[in-house]
Amino acid sequence: MNSENHVKVAIIGAGPSGIGLALGLAKRGVKSVLLIDRNEEIGGIPSVYKKKQGGVRTFINLIRGRVVFGEQYTQWLAGKLAKAEPAIWLKSKVIEVEPSEKRITLINPDQGKVHVTANAVVMACGARENSSIELGWLSGTRTGRTFFSKTLLELMDHHNVLPIKQPVIVGSDLNAYAAAAKLRTMGASNATILDTRSRPKSPLYSRIYFQRWKSYPKYHGKVKSARFIGNGAASAIEVNNSMTIPCDGIVLSGDLIPNSELAMLAHMNVEVHSRKPVVNSDYQLSEPGWFATGNILGGFHSAEWCYLHGKRVAKFVATYLKNNK
Amino acid sequence: MKSQIDVSGRIFYEWPDEGCRKEMRFSDPSQLAEEPYDVVIIGAGVVGSALAYKLSQYKLRLLLVDKNYDVGEGTSKGSSAIIHTGFDAAVGTLESQLVTKASIMWPELIENLKIPFQQCGAVLIAVDNEQYNQLEKIHQKAIDNGVTDVKVLTSGEVKELVPNVSPEARGGMSIPRESIIDAFSIPIAFSEVALANGTDILLGVEIVDVEDADKSIKKIVTASGKSIPTKLIVNVAGLGSSKITPKYNGKFFDLNPRRGQFIIYDEFSRSMVDKILLPIPTAQTKGVLVIPTISGNLLAGPTAEDFPLDDETAADTTIDGLELMLKGASRLMPSLKDLPRIGSFAGIRCACSQGTYQIRYNDGHPGILTVSGIRSTGVTSSPALAEYLVEGLAKECGLSLVKNPEATDSRPENRWPGWWKRPYENNGAVKNRPEYGRIICNCENISQGEIIDALSSPLQPFTLDAIKRRTWTQTGRCQGFDCMAKIAKIISEHCNIPLNKITKKGPGSEIAC
Repeated sequence: MNSENHVKVAIIGAGPSGIGLALGLAKRGVKSVLLIDRNEEIGGIPSVYKKKQGGVRTFINLIRGRVVFGEQYTQWLAGKLAKAEPAIWLKSKVIEVEPSEKRITLINPDQGKVHVTANAVVMACGARENSSIELGWLSGTRTGRTFFSKTLLELMDHHNVLPIKQPVIVGSDLNAYAAAAKLRTMGASNATILDTRSRPKSPLYSRIYFQRWKSYPKYHGKVKSARFIGNGAASAIEVNNSMTIPCDGIVLSGDLIPNSELAMLAHMNVEVHSRKPVVNSDYQLSEPGWFATGNILGGFHSAEWCYLHGKRVAKFVATYLKNNK
Repeated sequence: MKSQIDVSGRIFYEWPDEGCRKEMRFSDPSQLAEEPYDVVIIGAGVVGSALAYKLSQYKLRLLLVDKNYDVGEGTSKGSSAIIHTGFDAAVGTLESQLVTKASIMWPELIENLKIPFQQCGAVLIAVDNEQYNQLEKIHQKAIDNGVTDVKVLTSGEVKELVPNVSPEARGGMSIPRESIIDAFSIPIAFSEVALANGTDILLGVEIVDVEDADKSIKKIVTASGKSIPTKLIVNVAGLGSSKITPKYNGKFFDLNPRRGQFIIYDEFSRSMVDKILLPIPTAQTKGVLVIPTISGNLLAGPTAEDFPLDDETAADTTIDGLELMLKGASRLMPSLKDLPRIGSFAGIRCACSQGTYQIRYNDGHPGILTVSGIRSTGVTSSPALAEYLVEGLAKECGLSLVKNPEATDSRPENRWPGWWKRPYENNGAVKNRPEYGRIICNCENISQGEIIDALSSPLQPFTLDAIKRRTWTQTGRCQGFDCMAKIAKIISEHCNIPLNKITKKGPGSEIAC
């Protein structure tokens, strides 16, 4: 315990981008790669979306030209990863980073607190959904049964609990429509979707794509303000101080916000508002030898995009290792 | 059932279905003491629980009862979490005396109660001439209140103490003993010690009536129609207290919630501010405070907005209110305008038109005490107020006080909150209990072990909010995105409750409808 472990490359996050990176490094002959994830399994966000009878497939695997469940996508990634044979530490949470020494400190149940040093470190930490204050137009009390779409999916897909039967969804991106479709297939009524935009954020083709499974959610655009109503649990949402939409639960599906906290903790350059870490053309952070890949860079990218991006950044990491022996 | 004083109290929850451990469900008064209680305390907020803590030092049969499903879940749950010195209180009032006395008690009390606390100090900041001209008066008031360690500051001294302060700062005053505390822990710690000393606790039990108020043995009646006999009644039910007074013919008073909204900044902002920043109240506004929190965030607030009693929107946050807080905070420190915010909350003060700190012994009938109008200073004053009430109960209501030599005034060492002591820093602890190395709340780095410790703690809480107040999970920058479902699952497995019956704050707030 407390021993110093040294690897060539430490990758923080074993979602699609982290796995893509590990595969890219293996292809370039880089040995001694450690893939770290705080969850119990690899796969990141797609792993939350389980394969289910009558469920909605939302992950597009361009390489195999199929639309699949997140779980299947993760299995495909795991199959590829098995050939690359990186070391994988799961249930491992990175709590400190020391940029100049390229050292990270993490905690896991097997080893307690451990330090790992590396020749290069890659942050493939993904993104999360904005909290209501970050959205800026929601008020009221945070009642029970107010979920992020990811929390909702964890309950539905992992634990087989249908939390909401009459949903209101705040936000109109891909996640919002996926949540609406998933709720509908599990037996909930048609969702009402609210957003400040006049038209849904999710592109038309993807909305049609969800419509293939179930009827279309109602869309309320140009919302100026929305207020949560409910004492114990959500009972309604009031829109623009006038209309009240009854519901028994609310899903928050805002924009994504990068999980860039480790970069901030290490005082690397991160844009204040968007919280995107600043990278150069090689996807290197403001500290040499530290890289970033996937949704941590901002935006709202598919699992496939992240996977391919990870593979691409592997090239720059390999070049860095070659030049800094 | 034991008929003597119990060595340890009993705790029950009145819960209609399987959302609570079966053996802890309150179904019949026979689960409680056989003989009448000496004192029943209605309301387990900071004041009620502090009173239970103090009374539990004596040989008394005590019952602490609250309508919520955790202690401290009424007005006590949302505050600025400051332990005040009382430097600006109205001189000579009971409130001022109690706050000043309690501010001296707290540094020792926190060691006994295992409550995170930091004497960070406060700086009062004048940003214009009108405010600057008030400084001398405020300084004199502090001295008159017995807070003699304050110091008037020049603008240069303010800038030195508060590096990112507004360039407009003309001067100020330092109040070194103003402190921050984990306010969530206060009612929990008081109640846990009371429970250890034999106090019985009922949660989820609303008292709707008092029978035989004029007799020596009175009965409190619960919403579900159960009646519990007691010799004395203390009504410290906060905003609920004025609904009970008519039942025992207590003197009329009227209460209303006064809302205080706060903005929560991302914890990276905390490094910019290590002292409480106080505005100078003017004729127009009381101003917005900037408050570092003990858990590592930064707050700006509060508003002061009055609502009628029972208004359901009283605890809402509003877009305008948050805008106002932002404006006020950036007046003290301009950079606060742009720093990332992670959440907001609204606290409620108990405003009373008959004045603050209403204490009425033998209210309506002998043996009934009503305490109300304990506004925001209650967090600070609670231990001194409780002592004051114990003396009063003895003097005015004939309560006989015999010290219980076996009573404790402390929580055990292992009740320091995990987020304060960080069990993962100790690899031996992780080796013994690997769940201390399994981080569940990724924002605050809180482990599964700490969540299980909270679930197995003396009050045996069941709700997501009760776990939040004990562990600080779900409070970080992701606001539960990552940990909420996992915590619900842990509660479900540990307490053997179906996952869909796990609640945010008791029946009616189940995670699945």
